[in-house]
Formats: sequence, C-alpha cells, structure tokens
Amino acid sequence: MAGIKLENLIKSYGDTRILHGIDADIADGEMIVVVGPSGCGKSTLLRMVAGLEAVTAGRILIGERVVNDLEPSQRDIAMVFQNYALYPHMTVRQNMAYGLKIRGMSRAEIARRVDEAADILELRPYLDRKPRQLSGGQRQRVAMGRAIVRHPQVFLFDEPLSNLDAKLRVQMRLEIRKLQRRLGVTSIYVTHDQVEAMTLGDRLMVLNKGVVEQFGSPIELYERPASVFVAGFIGSPAMNFLPVRVEGDAAILPNGARLPAPARAAGEATLGARPEHLTPDEAGPVAVEVEVLEQLGAATLVHGRLEGTQHEMTVQLDGVRAPEAGRIMRFAPGQLHLFDAASGKRLAD
Amino acid sequence: MIENRPWLNLFAHLALILGVAIVALPIWITFVAASHEAARMMQAPIPMLPGGHFWENLRATLFGEGLSGAETAPVWRMLLNSLVMALGIAAGKIAISIISAFAIVYFKFPFRMAFFWMIFITLMLPVEVRILPTYEVVSDLGLLNSYWGLTVPLIASATATFMFRQVFLTIPDEMLESARIDGAGPLRFFWDILLPLSRTNIAALFVILFIYGWNQYLWPLLITTDRDMSTVMISIKQMLEAAEQSPQWNIIMMTALLAMLPPVAVVIAMQKLFVKGLTETDK
Repeated sequence: MAGIKLENLIKSYGDTRILHGIDADIADGEMIVVVGPSGCGKSTLLRMVAGLEAVTAGRILIGERVVNDLEPSQRDIAMVFQNYALYPHMTVRQNMAYGLKIRGMSRAEIARRVDEAADILELRPYLDRKPRQLSGGQRQRVAMGRAIVRHPQVFLFDEPLSNLDAKLRVQMRLEIRKLQRRLGVTSIYVTHDQVEAMTLGDRLMVLNKGVVEQFGSPIELYERPASVFVAGFIGSPAMNFLPVRVEGDAAILPNGARLPAPARAAGEATLGARPEHLTPDEAGPVAVEVEVLEQLGAATLVHGRLEGTQHEMTVQLDGVRAPEAGRIMRFAPGQLHLFDAASGKRLAD
Repeated sequence: MIENRPWLNLFAHLALILGVAIVALPIWITFVAASHEAARMMQAPIPMLPGGHFWENLRATLFGEGLSGAETAPVWRMLLNSLVMALGIAAGKIAISIISAFAIVYFKFPFRMAFFWMIFITLMLPVEVRILPTYEVVSDLGLLNSYWGLTVPLIASATATFMFRQVFLTIPDEMLESARIDGAGPLRFFWDILLPLSRTNIAALFVILFIYGWNQYLWPLLITTDRDMSTVMISIKQMLEAAEQSPQWNIIMMTALLAMLPPVAVVIAMQKLFVKGLTETDK
C-alpha cells in the first residue's frame, strides 16, 4: 500500500493550459474525491495519475516512486472507467483474469484471485456470462472486480456511477465506499456530482478551471468554503449569494436590511447564506417574496426574491409547509459567509 | 400490409414467382444442359427437363480431357487455381488492410494522415487503370503464370483499409486504455481485443472479397499463358471460342455450374456473420 503525492502538476495541450500546478498529499488508504464542473480538468488529472496522459511538468509519486515516465501497467494502479470498458468478447471471468494472465501469473493463482473478487462483489453466478448479458450495475461490479484482482496500490475511478440510474447509483456508492474501507486501498475518485463527492470522500479536492479551489474534508468544505465557487458547488440546494455593503459590524443587503457581518471587511462584498440556515422568524431581517414552492416531503423549498429586489433566494423549510405565492416571509439568518466581491475568496472570520 | 385480401395475396405471389422464374431460368437451363449429351443441346427445341448424363458429364468435365479438341486443363485444376486465387486475394487483402488500419488508427507517427490519404486515393486506381504498369512489374519480377502473380497485385485494398479504420474508430478509447492498464502491448491488444472484436467484419469482408477474387477475369487473362494456371472464369470463355466444331454445351454448362458453386457455398456458410458484420454497431 502506498500514498500518492502530486507536486506542482501541470498539463498543457499546445498553448492551452488545462491544469495549473496541482499539489496534493494523499495518505495511504485515503479516498480522495476530485470534484468540479465539466471541463475543469478533473479527468485529465486522473488520467495523468493513471499514465494515460503525459505529464507536462511536475511530479507524480506513488509510494516513494516517481511514476511520471512509467507505463500504466507498471504503476501498480487499477482504473474503473465511466463506460466500464469491459472486453465484450470475453466472459466476466476472462475479463477479470486478462491483466493477470498478461503478467504471467499462474493459472491457480489467477483462479483464486478471480474467485475471491467474485465473492466480494457477489458475481459468482455471472462468471461465465458475457458483459452484454449483464445489467448496468453488474457490469459496474465486473469493472470493479477487474480492478480488485490486481491487488493494486491505487484505485482510480473515473465517474464510475454516471451511467447508472439514480437508485442504483446510491446503492453502488455505498458499496464502493464499503469496499474501499475494507480493502484499504488509496483511491482517487472523479465525479461532477457533489452528493457523491460528499458521501464518498475522506477529503474533497474542488477543481475549477485547472486550479484547486479547496482541498479538505467534506464538512470543512461545507462549513468553511474557501471561495464563492466552492460555496456554490458544495451543498444542495446551492447557497444564496447577495451583494452587500459592509459598514463596521453590519452587512447591508440591497434592500437596505442590516445583518450582522460574519467577517471583518469594508465596502463591497458577497454574502452567502445556505438555504437550510435561514429560519422563519416574524422579526427576522431577511424578507423574501415567495414565488414557487417545491414540496419534497421531508422539506419544502421556497424560491423567491429578496423583497424589493430582483435577487433570487432559496430557502429550505423542514416538513410540509405551504406559504402562498406572493406572500412575504421573513427569516433570521443562521450561519453566514462573507466573500471578497472581486476575487470571490472567503474573508477571514 | 395488414389487410388480408386473397386477390392481393395471389397477385403478390404471382409477381414473386415470376421474379424467381426470371432469375432461376438461366440457372435451370444450365443445369439441364449439363445433364444431356453434347448433341442434344443443338437440336431444336432445346430440352427443358434434365437428361440422364449428369454424372457422366461431371466426370468428363472434372477429370477428363474436358473439351475434346481444345487445349484446356481439366476443370478441377482450373477450379483449384480459382480457389487459390480467390482465397489468396481475400486473405491477403484482409491481412494487409487490417494491419494498415491498425497502424493508422492507433499509432501516432509523422505523416500519418498523408499515408491514410495515399491509401485512400488508390480507390481511384482499380486494376484496369494500372494494368499495363502492373503487368510490367509482375513480369519483371518473373511472377507470370504463378499464384503470386495472380494474387499479389490485387491484394492492396483501400476499401478494406477504410472499412477497418471505421470499425476501429467505433471501438471506445477506454478499451485501449483498459488494455494498457492491464499491461497489454500493441500486438497483444491487436490479437486479444481488436481481432476478436472485428470478427464479424472480417467475415463480411471475406465474403465480398472472395467473390471479387473468384470473378476476376481481366487480370488472370493477361498474366496466365500456361493452361495449367488459367482460372475457371477464363476457361469458360475459352471453351466457347476454342472448339472448331459446334460448342459442347454439356461440358461448358457443367463448368459454369461448377464455377457457381464456391461463391454460393461461401455466402451460405457465412451468411449469419456476414449480416452481423454489416449491421452490428454495438461494440
């Protein structure tokens, strides 16, 4: 087993720079989720670790070994692809055994490992089927099995669940997490789904336009987002942002309402408030004109505008509520976040 | 059509029967002619029912002198020549083009696209256009009257290269990447993944190319002067012209019948794979 170290990792295609110097220190057995919108470079990062993309500058270390110039097969990694990339003409057993066969492993050892992986993933009954005879979830499992049999130092997951339906995705998410814990293999998991990221990762790396916006535990990202981007990306429904003017201890909303400023600042800033942190309060300073309701059963989402302005706001209420459209609701703010208006960086508390 | 009208059904069947009759009549006459004595076909009206000399004619055609008075090889020899040529062309074309498609799709090398276009442009140069220079080359190499001379100049194929390129492009990149992570080198990937995945396409191409090779006329006519090397297509034509007396229809038609069999056999044997290869898109 081994950790992974990325040192100032840079990737360019011609003049276009995709990754601008990524640094990360991933501990042995840790599961890191790299998350970001499409085109942020997260898949490129993963493929560089896998050895499928050349490194423009910087170093990748797996364990103590610099792997920059090693072939993927020499890096002691296993990868699960979004479309599974199973060999369609081979049975499940052959799919799992192929890599081991190439390594010249003995027949008995291959059979032992395949059986072991099949037991872990409950694939026993399907070993002699072809991939096209399997359901999406089963194919996903085979792809994982192919990774497990290698006993690699590192697992790499490239959006492995995005081809599954919502219910299966939740189930497989838990299974991947359990499996990773059980095997204790250092893992990098790439996804654009923030719920997947929050639930799977020991730590999250939020990537935006090839730059690490924040790298920390899910709760850290939720409670202390380092920038407007992270704040908006992590958490669902997304955080409300309002432009404010900070005067002394007060943040003044566009409609003149005054809130206590969560950080020291002066002049223009961006105030962030999560929908779930606004509580109904008849005397609260935040007035929202209700427009649309979304009843989720366990919660009710209220969409509206800050009274007297065009700024959209979302508030999450517990349980079933039914405020009428057009009504004004008042809220008391709980936890607030303040960001620099220009750079979007979090302002110190 | 969903309606069930007896007259319409009758009409449909009549139309189909007429169509089948038009297509099958020449073949039937061939068969009938091959089963009579030589003289019988010269008398009017020509017979429409098979006679009793089929096996006799078959033996005479396959192993005997063939046409009396003409200097042709026994037909089994010509069938063998045609078979070797057709198989050689089909196998050669497939082998060459699958390898070149592999190089063009999966390797990055200087002038890759230039090479691709060079191959592609040869589509405009079928054998008939380059027949004289090709003859020159083959004769300089001393390949006249040999299986090599019959097959090699027809082997280069832009169509097949292009087809395999398209097939390879439909195989997702992840397949290659997955194989790389599994530790498969380029040749391993080719043998273990690409070849099995192109199996149906190879079969479809084989059918087309076998028939193409079998039906070759101009090129074998040009480079085979030795009667032991001539192919069955040429000899049918020669049989018609060769004899000074009236054509011996029983032998000629038997030869034609024999010449039809291998392509039919190939199509029937590979029908399933052939259709799959042309229609299957799911990789």
